[in-house]
Amino acid sequence: MIETGYFQVLAAAALAALAFILAKVKSIPVEKDIAFGSVRAFIQLIAVGYALEFIFKLESLWLITLAVAIMIVVASYTASQRLPKSKRPFAVSLIAITAGSVITLVLMLLLGIITVEARYIIPLSGMIISNAMNGGAVAFDRIGSDLKANRLAVETSLALGKNWREASNRFYRMAIKAGMISILNFLKTVGIVALPGAMTGMILAGASPLDAVLIQLVVGYMLLSAVTITTIISAELAIRQYFNKAEQFTG
Amino acid sequence: MSCQNEIILKVDNVHRAVKKNGTTVNTVDGISYTFNKGTIYNIVGPSGAGKSSFLRLLNRLDDPTLGEIYFHEKLITLYPPTELRKKISMLFQTPYLFEGTVRENLKYCCQHDDKTIAEILSRVGLKPEFADKQAEDISGGERQRVALARALLLNPVILLLDEPTASLDPTLSQSIERLILELTKNFCLTTIIVTHDPDQARRLGGNTLLLVAGRLIESGPTDIVLNNPTTDSARRYLNRELI
Repeated sequence: MIETGYFQVLAAAALAALAFILAKVKSIPVEKDIAFGSVRAFIQLIAVGYALEFIFKLESLWLITLAVAIMIVVASYTASQRLPKSKRPFAVSLIAITAGSVITLVLMLLLGIITVEARYIIPLSGMIISNAMNGGAVAFDRIGSDLKANRLAVETSLALGKNWREASNRFYRMAIKAGMISILNFLKTVGIVALPGAMTGMILAGASPLDAVLIQLVVGYMLLSAVTITTIISAELAIRQYFNKAEQFTG
Repeated sequence: MSCQNEIILKVDNVHRAVKKNGTTVNTVDGISYTFNKGTIYNIVGPSGAGKSSFLRLLNRLDDPTLGEIYFHEKLITLYPPTELRKKISMLFQTPYLFEGTVRENLKYCCQHDDKTIAEILSRVGLKPEFADKQAEDISGGERQRVALARALLLNPVILLLDEPTASLDPTLSQSIERLILELTKNFCLTTIIVTHDPDQARRLGGNTLLLVAGRLIESGPTDIVLNNPTTDSARRYLNRELI
């Protein structure tokens, strides 16, 4: 592998420039997005690179916890946009993503898969939290849209003497399945359809493919756990927001 | 009939306010009324009069913002909602049948045996073999009959019907009306039916409540309310000036 430095990054930027020129020539209205996105990615990643260097050197447990907490708060806010404001979206999202991420990280520590070191906790947390966020957001989205689209089905069940749980169970299960589809598809096709980023990165950095595969397996199972826990809790907490104590559908 | 003299449901100064486009609107505005057992009650009125909103309060699909409702002289809020809704069963304008067979729909609430299912199907004018049909394959009139059968299997004492014939043609509509009359009589049910059609109320008889803008403006025996209205709003509605 050729050593990667700023020169190589600038050379690769020529590829972004090629995308920009193609969009311009074909009058596809994404030139601004390409330019802004490319510059933004550069600034964000360089800033994160320096921040991680700093945190890795200090090895402070407080700093690691703070970094993970910031990731969780930002992810919770992002996922919460999929729930109406009346449904306490941020609290619901924060509880679900925190539970999914923290339980998975603690289990990985207890099982001896990783140790409390910034170079493990921070990148793995990033992967865990972003996948948990996506699973939770999809579950929120499905719960809201399915319940509203099936109001008659839900109220028919309630009118027939079913409780809110029985009336909404079908939609609850479908929301969880929808939230997990992405990670399940990933597990089914990993290595066949695509080589995941982490694995590709390790191979490019000179690691043996077998070592890269073993790490990728750990990552895959870790993400499955985090997404499953987060999606179930997201669906559970979100669906409760659509019913009240009188077993009424509040839409 | 002796069962008709008993008071079963009492509605006392009930209001239901909802927010529409930032302003609060009373969809039900101070209705008080007493319903007796074994009687048909038609709720008529123009669109937006609050007929369906009122009906939904009676089995707690919604709660009033003010006022009280008593079932068997006890506040309806004191009953577990799931139990109350089995006693005060409701059918919607568009009957919803769950995926699967008619039999599975009829067993949705409780595990009834085939004999009970055949009996209830015959009560609503359907043959026992009908139980094996897929719910998605049956017609609008049949769907309404299956939905009625499913509600009756709960052994309700009050049946709430929200425009049950609105989507049916006149012939089917009248056969459902005959069925409602027969079931009300045979099961000694209190049937409260929302209809936008005064002629349907005339055919069903019983008592009629006329609602305009959320208010109960006329009530009493159907022929009196619909033939000799005492208020200007009622006359305008019956002359089709209020739609």
